[in-house]
Parts: sequence; C-alpha cells; structure tokens
Amino acid sequence: MAHVSVPMYWRTIPQRYKLIGYKCKKCGAVNFPPKGVCKQCQSSSEFEETHLSGRGKVHTFVLISAGGAPPEFAEQEKAGGQYPVAIVELEEGPKVIGQIADIDPKEVKIGMPVRTELRKIYTEEEVIRYGFKFVPA
Amino acid sequence: MKKVAIVGAGQSRYGDFPDKGIKELFFEAYKDMISSVDNGIDPKSIESAYIGNLGSGGFQLGNMSALVTEYCGLTHLNTMRIENACASGGYAIIAAAMDVLSGAHEVVLAGGVEKMTDVSGMKQKYWLGVSGDTEYERLAGTTFAGLYALMAQRHMHEFGTKREQLSMVAVKNHKNGAQNPKAQFQREITMEQALKGPIVAHPLNLFDCCSTTDGASALIICDADMAKKYTDTPVYVAGFGGASDFLAIHDRVSTVALEGTKRAAAAAYKMSGLSPKDIQTAEVHDCFTIAELLAYEDLGFCEKGKGGQYMEEGHTKLDGDRPVNASGGLKSKGHPIGSTGTGMAYEMFNQLRGTIQKPARQVKGAEVGLIHNVGGSGGTVAVSILRR
Repeated sequence: MAHVSVPMYWRTIPQRYKLIGYKCKKCGAVNFPPKGVCKQCQSSSEFEETHLSGRGKVHTFVLISAGGAPPEFAEQEKAGGQYPVAIVELEEGPKVIGQIADIDPKEVKIGMPVRTELRKIYTEEEVIRYGFKFVPA
Repeated sequence: MKKVAIVGAGQSRYGDFPDKGIKELFFEAYKDMISSVDNGIDPKSIESAYIGNLGSGGFQLGNMSALVTEYCGLTHLNTMRIENACASGGYAIIAAAMDVLSGAHEVVLAGGVEKMTDVSGMKQKYWLGVSGDTEYERLAGTTFAGLYALMAQRHMHEFGTKREQLSMVAVKNHKNGAQNPKAQFQREITMEQALKGPIVAHPLNLFDCCSTTDGASALIICDADMAKKYTDTPVYVAGFGGASDFLAIHDRVSTVALEGTKRAAAAAYKMSGLSPKDIQTAEVHDCFTIAELLAYEDLGFCEKGKGGQYMEEGHTKLDGDRPVNASGGLKSKGHPIGSTGTGMAYEMFNQLRGTIQKPARQVKGAEVGLIHNVGGSGGTVAVSILRR
C-alpha cells in the first residue's frame, strides 16, 4: 500500500532527522533527497555529503482539507483543521516538500521565509515517525 | 515506414457498477469494440493484447491481462498488463502500435480496465496514492489533489490564473459529459456550484477533481495496409510519444509545466509531421481542472501561462475552434485509471469518423485529433495523434 512502511521510513532517516544532502562532485548541484545519478547534470554519481541549513522560501503551497488528506493524516486534519503543505526552495538550491507548522493556514504566502524543525509526523504500525516540518523563520 | 490504423473501438459505460468486476467490464467494452468493426472481424485474428491497468485495488495484480482476455474467448495471445499509473491506457496504445510496426503481429488489441469502487473510501486513498513519490510527497500529507493544488497555486502566482478559469474547465466538461450516454456524470453544473464546492486541497475544491470510476475500453489496431479490409473509414495513428519525468514534483525544474507532456507531444508531432496548429480537437488528461490548463500550454495550443485565458476565450468549448474533452473528460466522463487512455482513443475514433451517438457532442469536420494521458502528477505521459 501507499503508506510509508517502517523499513521505507527507516532508510530515509538521514534525510528526515539531519537533512543530509548530496553535493555532486562534478556540477556542484545539491541533490535532496538523494539520487543515484545527479539530477542536474545526469552524468555523475559521485557525491559529497552535506548538512543542509533547513532554511528556505515557500515556492508554492496547498491547504489540505478533509477530502484531500491521506487516511494516515485524517486524524491530524480532524484535530486541527486544514493543514498547509509547501514546496520550499532551500537556500542550497534543492526544492523539498513538507508541512508548515505553527502558523494560521491563512497566513501562508509564496515567498515567505521558513526553516525546518524536527517534529512528530504521525504514528503508524505502532512506530512514531519523526521528520522535518517547516515553521515560519 | 509501416503505418498503423485503428479499425474498431469500444467502451463500457463509466460509473459505479457493484455487479461488475474487471472481467465483466472488459467484456462489455470488448463486445462493443467487435461490433464497431464495419466489415466484421474474426476474434481469432487477434494475436496480441496490451491491457492498461493500475491494479484494480490490488485484487488481481498478477496475470490480469490473460484473465480479462480469456473471459472474452481470447486465448494463446501475446498479452501483458501495461502499467504506467493513470497513463496505462495511453501506453497500451503505444505498445500495440509498436507491436504492429515491428512486424511481429498484424492485429493487436489495446485496451484498459479498472475497478475502483470495490474498495472503501479509506482504502481507496491508500491504493491511489501509489503513483507519486511515496517517501516524501506522501509523508508530507498529500494525495494527488494536493500535488495538483501545489501546481495550481504556483500557476496563479506566476501568471495570474484565476479561480474562475479553473471552474470554467469543470463547467465545460460537465456540459459535454451531459451529452455522453457512457459518462459517469451525465449532468451539467453551474459556475456557482463549481466555485462553491467543498474545499479538498485549497485552491482546489470538489468540482476541480475527477472521480473514481469503474470502466473499460478496447481498440483494434492493425497494419494500415490491411485496415480497409475492416472498414472504409479507419483512423490512423499518425504519431505517438511517451515521456517520463521525476516522480516528485519538488524534483522538477518547473512546478507550472509537465515536462513529460511537452516531450511526449514533441515526439508525437515529429512522427506525424504535424504541429499544434493542425490539432482540431483533443482529449486531454483533466484529472484536476488545473491539469487541463497545463495541457493547453504544454501541448502547444497556447503560450505558457495563458491556459486560463485560452479557456476563458472559449477556444476549447464544443463550439470553439479547438474543442477539448468533448467526451466530458476525466471530470465528467470518469477516470477508470487503466481505461482512461484507450477510452480517449475510443472517443477520438468516433469523433473523427463522425459517429458520436449524440449529435450535440459531435465535433464537426475534425480530421486530426490528439489524445493526452498523464500518469500520476506527470511521472509518465503518453500522447497520440489520430487522423481520419
């Protein structure tokens, strides 16, 4: 099924907890999440690990309501109403998707500065999943 | 170079049919296809079959193409399931065309089927989220409505696309679908309804989203040299193209264009020797209203950013200069995932031959039409150009 299984989650912990990006040794583009071959130059698979700052700007966003929430997020939607999800352009270059927390959804704007914080995402298969969410910077 | 023609096309009714499974739905389309061949066809002449299907809720993941074809009395075929999410049917056409062009087989079936209403609403979302980027997009709390809403929001920001322009797509497609006896929702909606639908993923509301649908469709594709044996009015596959892209939209350079659409269309235009100005009518992948506006732009019907304006000017209405989704589109005709692409070809086959059941929906005099089928949020795209 399309939910994120525990092993699938576990394999992405370096990204979710520590924002580990991968800088292409050939063209310098930061790949986050990781790729086998650099997504920009598509000609190198040599990377250098780099800690991303987590700071960036909202590129676009959506406010997820009841009908648009995956079942594993239905509880969150029910408890707190619609929640914002954004694509954020990080200052190191890559764009990444994540929720925006600690904000009235009506206040979310394209271009607003945000930063990541480690937050609880949800509990599934009896395992608490943590990961980054964005908060206003 | 060899050419390929469509000589028969059938479709089941689209909708919610508790009494029919994938076998029965596919058989309904199959019978309709067989009876559509003007001079008749011996089913035994079908050598090969490509069936688009996402997985019908996981109920028959293995060997489904053999299952649905043997139910129709077709055994010993070279057959396989084609899976590229919502673009599975579009790729079944490409696979069938390549099969004929290779010379391996002369008469090939391209079809699609999906059974989406057997799974409960909650389970459906688990099942349907499977075609995007699961690790990141899903863990951020989005489904496809959310992803297309991200594109819509950015499109509005960059180009000033208006909320009303999105709703115009829904109103237009429902108006067309009301004239389609095989459509899931055969009713018109008002602009006010379209604007005031319950919010699903702001800026998209319920009327910006297509439904979940049961349905099937099937085509007979053969070597163009033998097409006249079956009918005096074959429809030729003038060109086709398929193109993939990053699954996650955050990995893509642009969030306001589907690069897959541009590339697949470029390949189809090149193969056919045609250009966007030659396309007189099209069936495009309007899984969400914004997707139809993106399609206008990415297929080259208008400039990037002008999709909303192009809609508003009425070009794509039934009485416009380039009607789009005369069938009602995914929005009103329905979106039985695996069947959607071949269902588009069924519509275009009838549009180009002038055999649409209800004259109100017939695009008059069209000779060249394009079909555009998107998998997921653009991870795969199939485009075919059909010509009378």
